[in-house]
Amino acid sequence: MQNASTLRSRRAFLTSTIRTAGAGALLGLPQVIPARVLGAAGQPGANERITVGHIGVGGMGGGHLDYMVRRVQRGDVNVAAVCDVDEKRLAAARNQAGGKATPYRDYRYVLERKDIDAVVIATPDHWHAVQTVHAADCGKHIYVEKPACCTIEEGKAMMAAGRRNRVAIQIGSQGRSQRECYKAHLYIANGMIGRVRKVTCWHYESPTDDNPAPDSAPPPELDWDLWLGPLSWRPYNPRYCHGTFRWLMESGGGQIRDRGAHVMSNALMIMNADQTGPVSIHATGKVPTKGLWDSAITMDVTYEFKNPDWTLVWSQPGQMVPYFDREKVKNLGIREGYGAVYHGDKDKLVVWVGDGQVFTETKAVEFRKPAGGVDVYESPGHHEDWFVGIRTGRKTIMNVDAGVATAFLCVLGNLSLILGRKLHWDPVKQEIVGDEQARRLMSRPQRYPYCL
Amino acid sequence: MNLKNSTGTLPTAAVLAAASATRTHATTGEVDTFIGELRSEPTRGAAIERAVRIGVAGTAPLCDLLADKDVENRRAARRCLDRMVHHAGRPGASGEARELEAALLAAIPIGATLQARREILWLLSEIGGAATVKGVTPLLANPHLGEDVRCVLQRIPGKESLDALKAALKTAPEALRPSIAESLRKRGEKVRGYPSQRLTPVKPTSL
Repeated sequence: MQNASTLRSRRAFLTSTIRTAGAGALLGLPQVIPARVLGAAGQPGANERITVGHIGVGGMGGGHLDYMVRRVQRGDVNVAAVCDVDEKRLAAARNQAGGKATPYRDYRYVLERKDIDAVVIATPDHWHAVQTVHAADCGKHIYVEKPACCTIEEGKAMMAAGRRNRVAIQIGSQGRSQRECYKAHLYIANGMIGRVRKVTCWHYESPTDDNPAPDSAPPPELDWDLWLGPLSWRPYNPRYCHGTFRWLMESGGGQIRDRGAHVMSNALMIMNADQTGPVSIHATGKVPTKGLWDSAITMDVTYEFKNPDWTLVWSQPGQMVPYFDREKVKNLGIREGYGAVYHGDKDKLVVWVGDGQVFTETKAVEFRKPAGGVDVYESPGHHEDWFVGIRTGRKTIMNVDAGVATAFLCVLGNLSLILGRKLHWDPVKQEIVGDEQARRLMSRPQRYPYCL
Repeated sequence: MNLKNSTGTLPTAAVLAAASATRTHATTGEVDTFIGELRSEPTRGAAIERAVRIGVAGTAPLCDLLADKDVENRRAARRCLDRMVHHAGRPGASGEARELEAALLAAIPIGATLQARREILWLLSEIGGAATVKGVTPLLANPHLGEDVRCVLQRIPGKESLDALKAALKTAPEALRPSIAESLRKRGEKVRGYPSQRLTPVKPTSL
């Protein structure tokens, strides 16, 4: 633990250095560090605790809250607020945070608080972009669950908000921070399988709504208006939530936007393609014909990239590759239902799972970079990488540009499927070309006041 | 993967090409049979797949079905209309899009339920043009549909929709004007007054 004089001298060093050299010029910093973190007069500095608010405390949100509560116990995080539109979940989260976090229903109360440095957003997907933009415009650093966005317009708005506010944004594709993802990346970056021309992803089929229910009044603990947020008004139906939003095109977007945002995120990182996109997208598949859910049951999407030329394929179910160590599958609960094969011109490499677990082949796990070999970034952990971004201004491993690039693959795959035709994409302008209807569907006007 | 024999499968390229080549207007009998199949669970999936071939002749009965008492009949109707709109909106098919637009516009006044009318409005946002702008703008005054109409006008590109939004800022019900201002800003217009409420919290918890 650093003593007060060390803290003062480190803070003074950083402040003085930035003033003389100009923000971003020295230390390779890509962003201006917010004054609050640098320790401007009267403000806490970089070594102080980060004060966090949690927006959405259900499934994944509960997991994030659990992590932050453990960081509270370490002394480097303060959980100041929990927020949910379901008051039963909200009450449980308040207890989980030890009764010290203030509960809110409306996330904008959280964003108003000057003492909150950062927010964790784990709401249904149709809220991600709006809440991220709002949080950024209120000066908060943001950890937002994947996928980053549901439309092209949303993704662009998120990137713009990140740039104009210079906050640290981490998208929750935590597979990038997994050890064996790093090993796979290192192996491929060092040419061990040759030039990669194709990446094929597999994922098991999506469920269908075999238990459809009629519309009804919402349960008393749920604020249906706030759950819907940006979506157009419709009556409550129990098959919308909780968790089952995943199977609605306009919210969760199905497996491609859920696990695709993990498996294809890793692919973009390994292929060094975060700053680009495909030039064409072609999807075929089968969608439900009954029930509320409408996301693809089976699907094949082909993305063609240019300069360099390579192909990415997302398949439900595709060709599952069994993990080679059956004992490990049993003992560690390795999920083989999704993953990717990287096809190089010398060899191939399989990377299983993609989110909270990532596993790859022994040849990559045991690989050691030779002298003069290529280095790739090894994340200290997805939350920790975000904290480093907050404290130093360094770009996170799943920063908003990378998160949006991944989400665009998912969004475009679904769009090609529902329109029943191939789409052409300009990866520089980030827009659909030559299809007026598809261009209109790059955005979805949002219900006021829950707008970007 | 063989898609041809699966129920609920999106039309293959061959099906779409056949539909495009003939531009068939189904007979009344064919439409009645089609609607009957949508109403029956064992035949519903295959009927949804044929919606594009039924074409614009099926629009009015499908819009009626959107207001049906049975939730699965309503959903089947929506699935069919989605496919028809997506097919008609393809590049090079503007004639089909205008035909379908006219049929959807005609269905709005007679839509029996609010939700059915909302869904027709959102379908029009994907393919509608000047006729849609003219047809839906008066519905800004409807307290239950005004917000959806505002979204439709925001989405449809071009001068007509922008002019309609500008006029509506002065003529729409006062409660709708802040959201109209938001749409105008989205369309690149500078708007005086009606500051955005997007960051204003209004819902305290009961805990």
